[in-house]
Amino acid sequence: MSYYDVDAILTDSEKVPCKFELEIAQLGYLDNDPAQPLKTGTTVGLPLWLAELLALANRAPSSSDEDAKSFVSLNLPPALSNEVMSALKADPRAVPLRDQSHNFYGLGTRMLDLFEEAEICAILRKTFVTRAADIALHARKAGGAEDLGAIAGEDFVRGMEEWERLLFKNAHDGVKGTKAWMEGVKKH
Amino acid sequence: MDIDDILREVDPTFDFVPGETRDLQALTRAWVAERSAPELLDWPPDGLFERINDRIKQQIERVEEMTGDMDPKTNFALIVIQTELERFKYLVRSYLRARIAKIDKHTLHYLSSPALRARLSETEQAYATRHQALLHNHYLSSFLSSFPQSLQNLNDQAGNISMIDTPDLETAVFIRLLTDTLVEGRGTDSDGGMDGKIGDIVILRWSDAKPLVDSGRAEVI
Amino acid sequence: MALPLPTGLVPTEVAFLCEMEMVTIVPRQRLESITLLSGKTPALRPPHRAELPLWLALLLKKQRRANIVPPPWLLPASLQDLVNQETNIDPEAFSPPPPPPMRSDGYGAAHSYTQHSTNPADVVLAPPFLPSCTQGAPSGYLPYHWLEMAETLLAHAADDIPGAADARALLRDLQEVRAAKMRGSTRHLEGGGGVLNLRGVGAMELAESRGFVLGIVDGVRKLGASVEASRREEEEEEREGGGGGGDSDDEMEF
Repeated sequence: MSYYDVDAILTDSEKVPCKFELEIAQLGYLDNDPAQPLKTGTTVGLPLWLAELLALANRAPSSSDEDAKSFVSLNLPPALSNEVMSALKADPRAVPLRDQSHNFYGLGTRMLDLFEEAEICAILRKTFVTRAADIALHARKAGGAEDLGAIAGEDFVRGMEEWERLLFKNAHDGVKGTKAWMEGVKKH
Repeated sequence: MDIDDILREVDPTFDFVPGETRDLQALTRAWVAERSAPELLDWPPDGLFERINDRIKQQIERVEEMTGDMDPKTNFALIVIQTELERFKYLVRSYLRARIAKIDKHTLHYLSSPALRARLSETEQAYATRHQALLHNHYLSSFLSSFPQSLQNLNDQAGNISMIDTPDLETAVFIRLLTDTLVEGRGTDSDGGMDGKIGDIVILRWSDAKPLVDSGRAEVI
Repeated sequence: MALPLPTGLVPTEVAFLCEMEMVTIVPRQRLESITLLSGKTPALRPPHRAELPLWLALLLKKQRRANIVPPPWLLPASLQDLVNQETNIDPEAFSPPPPPPMRSDGYGAAHSYTQHSTNPADVVLAPPFLPSCTQGAPSGYLPYHWLEMAETLLAHAADDIPGAADARALLRDLQEVRAAKMRGSTRHLEGGGGVLNLRGVGAMELAESRGFVLGIVDGVRKLGASVEASRREEEEEEREGGGGGGDSDDEMEF
């Protein structure tokens, strides 16, 4: 991924649930209990860039791989929970992805890198492709409306996350460009 | 119409595509390819650009001479010549600007190895290094110099991620087949393949399309 | 300085490309051959027809020095056949592109125009350098630049096209039905198949949907990146483990 890509950087800041595998002094405030150390087994939401580092780092670098213990173990964020997956399986178009996460697909890609979840991958791909058809329709209907704000009333459009907004822009620009050319062809 | 002209048109051995037309076709193909491919392509071989630039310069001089001579008969010819000249200049300009856009986007990447540097013309190489230096110096004087010395580079490759942006070579492209050929493309759940016929228009990853385009069996559109 | 346009030709650039297509004209005035950067134009001797690139034909038409001969595929009868083909005969795929023109070699054999027989190392011709809008073009086939060629001719040379009003209506129908096919082509991409064939699609249609279609293909690829990587690792291990089943090449056709 690009070093400077803003969407990638924003996706990195998404919180994922991390279960601490050891007790850490003075971090109790993360669990709303500043007097106590952070107990083993507590789950805290940490940004992805930090969570990934802690999950993949080996606590005792000298030990062999089989014994490697990590500082935290990751879980799937609520955006990719079973409830959301079932809803997407039922009707991808009815779920406002943006409410789950602004960078829903970006987050999904990163989580799929960390977890082997072939089923989630299949659901996400099907969702993406199915919703894309709707995006095309809305982009054509948008016609003269320049920015998304004008059609934000539409529930589906409001629920589009970042990847889908880009698709929408591409579809819309294509239709707009062709229409502009066709209207301009008379004035040579 | 001369009888010779008519006979020449039908002569099967007649080379009906003169060199200048061939150059226009090559320039056009290069332009479409450069506009459509995700990475910088090779600078056209055989001195195509130098030839075209020379001819454009000559034509501009010719136009200036003809503008002085206001004979009505040559007037229309002048309009035709000027129109075509503008079209050529548009092609050349658009081609060069497309390349500059790609160089700007991934400057360090294209300067990073001799093989990649070879894709740039001499002028482009000079542009790339100077542009990069200007940018880096600007960053240094604006904010980079307040970073610790070890963090002032823009080409850091330590850790998981490299600071040098490279173009995504797996991005999808449209190609047109110029000959019947087997087309193979990698996919997610399974890889794909088909017996392509001349004239087919196919979507596949650039990394799979590149060998077809380089060997002349397909063109990017 | 750098070109701000996205990757891929935009509609105005497609139209520019289309203006390089050859068309047939009927000159109304004599005109000597002009030496251009791309070669010499044919001398114009009315009433002999000549072939010129579209941009020049339009210039002549505007000055009333010539009439443009509509390509046979643009006539209402041909368009009607095409609407039928696109709607009823093959509602899934685009109608096939025209077969390349053939040339005789003088010894009884016919060679495809794209195979330039005197110079086998020659570059293969393709649109817009493959004549598909001249008077000799076959009817009932839409060439690559059909949309922009038709729109341009109807805008500037409608009087040269018999049945122009019918042609306009039929062209709208063609656009609609083919646009729907374009949208439909992305409906089943979630498997991330490696190759997608869109034989017969037109230049302007490509330019319109390029960003969208390629965006979907790229999105599916990115979502499936780790699944794909695992699959390749497994296949690699199988291969090394003792020549198990080879790769299965699925045919993915549109």
